Amino acid sequence: MSIAINEIQEMFLEESREILQNLETDIIQLEGNFNKELFDNIFRYVHTLKGSSGIAGFNNLYEFSHQLENLMDLVRSEVVKVDEKIIDLLLECLDWFKSMIFGSDSDKKTAEGNKQNLLNVIFEIIQKSIVSDSGKKNLKSAPSAQSGSDRLKYYRIKTVFREDIYEFGIDPLSIIEDLSKNGRIVKRKVNKSKLPDFSKINPEKCYISWEMIFETELNYDRISEIFLFVNDDNSIEISDITEKYLGRDVSSERKIGEILVDKGIISEEEMENVVLEQQKLNSKIGDIILEKGLASKEDVNNALQEQTAVRSRIENSTVRVDTGKLDSLLNLLGEIVINQSSINRIAEELDDEVVFKLKNSLHGLDRTTREFQEQIMSIRMVQIGATFEQFRRFVRDSAKESGKEINFVIEGKETELDKTVIEKISDPLKHMIRNSIDHGIETAEDRIASGKSPTGNLTLRAYHQEGNVFIEVKDDGHGLNTVKIRKKAVSLGLISEDEEVSESRLLNFIFNPGFSTADQIGALSGRGVGMDVVRTNIEALRGSIEIFSKSGEGTTIRIKLPLTLAIIEGMLVKVGVSIYIIPLLSIIESIQPKEESVKTIEGKGEVVMVRGEYVPLVRVYDFFGINSKYQNPWEGLIVVVESGEERIGLLVDELLGQQQIVIKNLYHDIATSRAISGAAILGNGNVSLIIDIHGLTSEYRH
Amino acid sequence: MNDVVNKEKNKIENIDNQQFVTFFIGKEIYGVDVLRVQEIIGITEITFVPNSLPFMKGVINLRGNVVPVLDMRKKLNMPDREYDQTTVIIIVEVKGRSIGMIVDAVSDVIDITTESIQNTPHFTAKIETDYIKSIGRKDDDLIIMLEVDKILSTDDLESITVKES
Repeated sequence: MSIAINEIQEMFLEESREILQNLETDIIQLEGNFNKELFDNIFRYVHTLKGSSGIAGFNNLYEFSHQLENLMDLVRSEVVKVDEKIIDLLLECLDWFKSMIFGSDSDKKTAEGNKQNLLNVIFEIIQKSIVSDSGKKNLKSAPSAQSGSDRLKYYRIKTVFREDIYEFGIDPLSIIEDLSKNGRIVKRKVNKSKLPDFSKINPEKCYISWEMIFETELNYDRISEIFLFVNDDNSIEISDITEKYLGRDVSSERKIGEILVDKGIISEEEMENVVLEQQKLNSKIGDIILEKGLASKEDVNNALQEQTAVRSRIENSTVRVDTGKLDSLLNLLGEIVINQSSINRIAEELDDEVVFKLKNSLHGLDRTTREFQEQIMSIRMVQIGATFEQFRRFVRDSAKESGKEINFVIEGKETELDKTVIEKISDPLKHMIRNSIDHGIETAEDRIASGKSPTGNLTLRAYHQEGNVFIEVKDDGHGLNTVKIRKKAVSLGLISEDEEVSESRLLNFIFNPGFSTADQIGALSGRGVGMDVVRTNIEALRGSIEIFSKSGEGTTIRIKLPLTLAIIEGMLVKVGVSIYIIPLLSIIESIQPKEESVKTIEGKGEVVMVRGEYVPLVRVYDFFGINSKYQNPWEGLIVVVESGEERIGLLVDELLGQQQIVIKNLYHDIATSRAISGAAILGNGNVSLIIDIHGLTSEYRH
Repeated sequence: MNDVVNKEKNKIENIDNQQFVTFFIGKEIYGVDVLRVQEIIGITEITFVPNSLPFMKGVINLRGNVVPVLDMRKKLNMPDREYDQTTVIIIVEVKGRSIGMIVDAVSDVIDITTESIQNTPHFTAKIETDYIKSIGRKDDDLIIMLEVDKILSTDDLESITVKES
């Protein structure tokens, strides 16, 4: 029993996390841009929150959201206007929910204390509005009443009367007139296909049938009463299509034809014909409808739009899966691949006609498994949109705090990234955005003084390029002051007073530890971590960071990230009998040095000359304490790798080629050396270790 | 009085039969709790991990998982021996993850009554006895029971930290 409750609460936590995030995005969007649909969305979220918190037994939350809902109802019935005060209140309530649900115990206590304050504000607004509203009776004042449009129902009524209906003393027209007294016929379609040639018409017969969309406040039973006398003998079909008609039915994806039929633009018979035709012609339904002149272009376009709207809502439905399950799927698949290659090897050894067939089907299997692997990897990919959206609030608050006007733009929301990367990118991004707001973008007065628009622009953008993901934080502020950076760099001894330094190198100094940007830009101070931490975080994700800045025009910081952490492109190198993997990202080049280009520096180790520059030489066999084929650098190969600004040369026996590898973690502290960061399973089923260039470099230095 | 009786009862219930997987290292018979053993596999390709603990033989590929394997001879300070037909890797579960133990040969799955299991007697100081749980007797054989949780014992972990600093 208690387990079941826990499960419900667990689900509630999961669900509410999502709801609160969506709420935040929507509320921020609502600011300065009120739109009913958006507000309805917000209302729905709060309503869901209320429902689920009730189920999960969080009565406190339930009551609070109930009150909030009352207030929002007043907004929906246009009694209360959405202004900054309401937005602030909504955001405050949101924060309250956040700390009540996810906060620490002390957070919860504070929130508990704050609850009454918030409720008082809510009551106050409700009270005021009811007082001011009592005069205008015609307004829908009751907060819980459904709004007008909600009471209207839509029915599709199809009537086919028997030809001799007049003989029974019934006139179809009177029924239709009855109908129109009780509502409005929104759309009608008259089917005249049974109408004979004029000469053959019998005026006492009814040839016409109708199909209409009827808008009314009546319920189904009342509608059918109208048809009471004709119901038995004639074919009368009445169906409630309210949800579909309003496009609210999101439970299933609808075909464009259905949408048009539901809207009463074309009749079902016509639709059937169109479908038949479509099967013959194999062209789009929409085109055929247009061609036959059954509906206007506008109608079809509207229906198309509705269709995509529904579709996108359906596509957003997701399943939560533990990443561990995905990993084990991937493991199993890897095992299949290995078994497959061993079957391949056996096939190579056989010689028979059958082998040819066997190889063929093995090829097929190979394709499938590759596809399979890609699919599994793609499951791990998540759109970055949600992460970006959460910054809206952050930007709004920081901008208010610093008294600046900022227009925040998000681009490339749909860019996909590995889930683990997304989780870890949030903090560095936040830091960079904060930097831009505090130090980059000027105050409105300063901006006007330098001939810019008073509102600063801050753009967060993500895009794919060359198998990597780029994320940019771009502002149009005053840019970095290279003169000050230079001074700071000189004072830290990074460069000498009169050294010629390129602009980009100067800018990159801000990523150095101890290079506090606050001092160097001389604007606001008191920020926690520096850009060096940002760089460390990004590099831990196997990414890199660059900065571009133009004085007076702004700064762009660009992060380059691998698509996924689970797979890297690796170079397989051989040392003795062991095969190691070096991440391709770190490799600059590989060379076979001349004997005379290898030098020993007393007490500092060996160096090798690479393109006019001496780089430290690390003998991998020596470093790892294993045997190798070659001990002389001029016999083996030097792989030049880069870690941050530093380069080193690794002596290996030979290169075996590059390959995509799936990274496996090493647990139990097996590797005590930081030079080994993980392992991978090679095509032959053996385990190979991945060399961590960062770790190796820092370990080598000590 | 009652307490004493209950205690006795508990003892008896606890005793019942415990099952162990037994194996040889040299002439000695060792045992581990059968419930901790995931599987037993033949010797396979082992990848050496540089700068690891001396008894760490390396890592293997166990159906797509990278699993560390220990050489129990090294762990128990016994001379090395060539791997042969009978050499096996016993995969045991430690803290939710798999670890392999390389042993000379697997012997049997046996039932032992707790009565015939006694706590570790005093050893010479040369061997750490943390991971030796108890000594059992079955027929005329002496069986050394290992505590798998302590195969990678804290002592060893401490030695790692020392090495790192």
